[in-house]
Amino acid sequence: MNKATMHKRMFRLIALLAAAMLVLAACGKSSGSKGEDGIKVGILLSSSGPTAIIEAGMIKTALMAIEEINEKGGVKGKKLIPIQEDYAGDPSMAATKAKKLVMEDKVAAVLGTFTSASRQAVIPIIEQNNSLLVYPNLYEGEEYSEHVIYTGPIPNQGLEKFIPWLVENKGKKFFFVGSDYVFPIVMNKQAKALLGLSGGEGVGEEYVPFGHMEFASLINKIKEAKPDIVFSTIVAESESAFFKQFHDYGITPDDILIASPIPTENDLAAMGPEAGAGHVVIQAYFQSVDTPENKAFLEKFERKYGKEPVNTQMEAAYYSIYLLAAAMEKAQDPTNAKQVIDAFAGLEFQAPSGWIKVDEENHHTHLNYYIGVGNLEGQFDIIDKYGPIAPEPWSKLLYPDHEEPWKK
Amino acid sequence: MGILQQFADGVSVFGALLLVSLGLAVTFGIMKIINLAHGELIMVGAYTAYAVNTVAKLPFWVAVVAAFAVTALIGAAMERFVLKNLYGRPLETLLATFGISIMLQQIVRLIFGATNKAVIAPISGTLNIGGVVIPYLRLFIIGFSIFMLLLTAFLLFRTKFGMLVRTVSQNRSMSECLGLNTGRIDLFTFAYGAGITGVAGAIVATLRNVNPTMGTEYLIDSFLAVVLGGVGTLAGTVVGSAIIGEATQMLAYFWGEIGARIIIFLIVIIVIRFRPEGIIRLESR
Repeated sequence: MNKATMHKRMFRLIALLAAAMLVLAACGKSSGSKGEDGIKVGILLSSSGPTAIIEAGMIKTALMAIEEINEKGGVKGKKLIPIQEDYAGDPSMAATKAKKLVMEDKVAAVLGTFTSASRQAVIPIIEQNNSLLVYPNLYEGEEYSEHVIYTGPIPNQGLEKFIPWLVENKGKKFFFVGSDYVFPIVMNKQAKALLGLSGGEGVGEEYVPFGHMEFASLINKIKEAKPDIVFSTIVAESESAFFKQFHDYGITPDDILIASPIPTENDLAAMGPEAGAGHVVIQAYFQSVDTPENKAFLEKFERKYGKEPVNTQMEAAYYSIYLLAAAMEKAQDPTNAKQVIDAFAGLEFQAPSGWIKVDEENHHTHLNYYIGVGNLEGQFDIIDKYGPIAPEPWSKLLYPDHEEPWKK
Repeated sequence: MGILQQFADGVSVFGALLLVSLGLAVTFGIMKIINLAHGELIMVGAYTAYAVNTVAKLPFWVAVVAAFAVTALIGAAMERFVLKNLYGRPLETLLATFGISIMLQQIVRLIFGATNKAVIAPISGTLNIGGVVIPYLRLFIIGFSIFMLLLTAFLLFRTKFGMLVRTVSQNRSMSECLGLNTGRIDLFTFAYGAGITGVAGAIVATLRNVNPTMGTEYLIDSFLAVVLGGVGTLAGTVVGSAIIGEATQMLAYFWGEIGARIIIFLIVIIVIRFRPEGIIRLESR
C-alpha cells in the first residue's frame, strides 16, 4: 500500500485505541462513590500482580469487616465507604494510587500496602497530606511514623519466644536460610542473636535470590552441616519450592526440622501437604485457632466467599478495619487523621486470634503468638500459645539503648 | 562426597532446564522469534496440569498431554493472529509477546485466583548410590527431557515436516519460490514449540508451586541456555543447558547461590562477546 493509505490506517487505528482507552478509563472511575454521606476508607491492596497471592485475600476480609460494621450502624451513624485501588504489587504504582486516594478521593484513612517497598513508597504521601495509613502486615520492624498505625506483627514478637522454645524442644544447632533482601536478613539477624542468648549454635547461613527455584545445592550444604533445625525466612514461591525439594530428598522433620515464621495455610496448600507436614511455624493467627470469634469469622467468610484457606494476613486485615472503626468512633471527628491516630492508643479488640491491643505509644500492636505444626490436611496443629506480646520496633534485646522516636 | 552430590544435582538441574528450553530452541533458535511469553506458556502448562491432575484427579500423563494440547492451541493462536504479521520485525514481536505474557498472567489469575496451587509429583522416593541421593522425580525429569529432545530431533531431522521447517528457516524466500506454504509451516512449528513448552511447565510444576508469575524465572534461564549454547541448533540448547545447569550447582557449592548466578551471567557475557552465535555454531552462507 502507498504511504497515504498507510498513514490513514495508522491514524484510524490510533484514534480507535484512544477512544477505547477513554471508555475504559471512564468505566473505571465509577468505583469511587460520589455524593453519598459516609466515611471514605481507602483499600490500597493488589488484586493483580505478583503479590496478589496474599493481598487478594486481604481485600476480601477487609471488605467483609466494613460490611459487618455498616450493618451494625457504621461509625457515628455513618457508613464506611471502601474505595479500592489495585497497585499490582508495584511500589511506584502504590504511591500513585495513594495520591489518588488521599488527595482526590480525600479518604479518612488508607488500609494497605504489603511489601516494605510499597509501604515505604506510600508513607511520604501519607505524611505530606496529614493522612493515616493502617499497615496490617508482618514486616521487619525498625520503623516508626506518626502517621502510620502498624497492626501487624514485628520480629521481636514472634522470635523472642520461638527461638528459646525451639532450643528447648527441638535442638541447638541452627542453619539459617533466607531470601536475599532486607526483611529475611533482618529477621535472621534477630534470630541469630536470640539463638546465642538461648545457648544454641549457628552452623551455617545462606541466602538465595528472590524467586530462586533450584534448591539442590543448598539442601546439600544443609545436610553436610548437620543441623537440628533449619530456620528459614525464604519467602514467596521460593518457599514452597524449598519445602517441596527438601521433602523430595527424603529428609523428614525428625532428621532436620524446618522452623519458620513465614508459611501460612496458603503455602501449605501450594507445597502440598506432605512437604509441609511435621515442620514448625510461628504466626499471630492460624485458621485452626479455637476461639468463638474465629469460628464466627470463618463461618461468615465461608458464607460470603466460599471455602478457601484463611491465613494470618487476612485475619489482620479484618481486625485492622475493626480497630480503625473503633478509633474513628472514639475520635471527635472521624475524618481528622490526627485525632483518629491518637484514638488508636491503647485500643483493645477481641480478634479471631484472641485479645489484642494497640500500644499506647509506639503505634504497633500487642499480638498473640501460636506455634503450629503442619499437618496433612493443610492446616496447622497448635501446640503452644503466647500472648499478647508487646511490640518492640527496635528489639530491646538487640538494641537496648536505641532511641525511641515516639518519645519526642 | 558433597561434590559428587553437587554434580548429581547439576545433572538434575540440567534436565529441567533442557526441558524448558527445548520449546525456545524451536521458536527462537529455529524460527528466530523472540517470544517473551515463553515463560507464560510454561505457566499455562503448569496450570493445565493443576486443573487436570489436582482438580479433576485424572492421571498425570493425561495432564501432560492436556498441557501440550492447550499450549499448542495458544501458540497457534499467537502465531496466526499476532506473530504472522510481525515476521522480520523483532522489536514489535518483543512488544507484542510481552503484552501477551501480561495478558496470559492476568487471565490465569481471573480463572484460578491469585493464590498458589500445588501439583503433586506422581513419583516419590530417592535413589541412594553410595551416599549420593537423587530423588526419583529428578531422574524422571532427566529421562523425560531426553525423551523430548529425541522426539524433537526426530521430528526435525527424520520427518518430511522437519525438513520443511529447516528449509523455511534457512531460506524463507527460496522456500516460497519453491511453492512451500510457509504460513502453515510456521503455524505448526510455533504450535509445536509452544506445546512442548507447556509439557515442560506441567513437569516442573511438581518441583515447586504453581502461580501466575512462575514463568518469569524460566524466561531468563531458557534464553541464557539457548543463546549460550548456540542459536539454531538443538545440540546448542543441550550444551547450553548442561553448562548452565551443572555450573550453577558446582559454583553454588563454593560461592553460594547468589555468587553462582553472578558468575554464570559473567560467563555468558564473555562467551557471547567472543562468539556471538554461541558455542555450537550453525553454518551459514
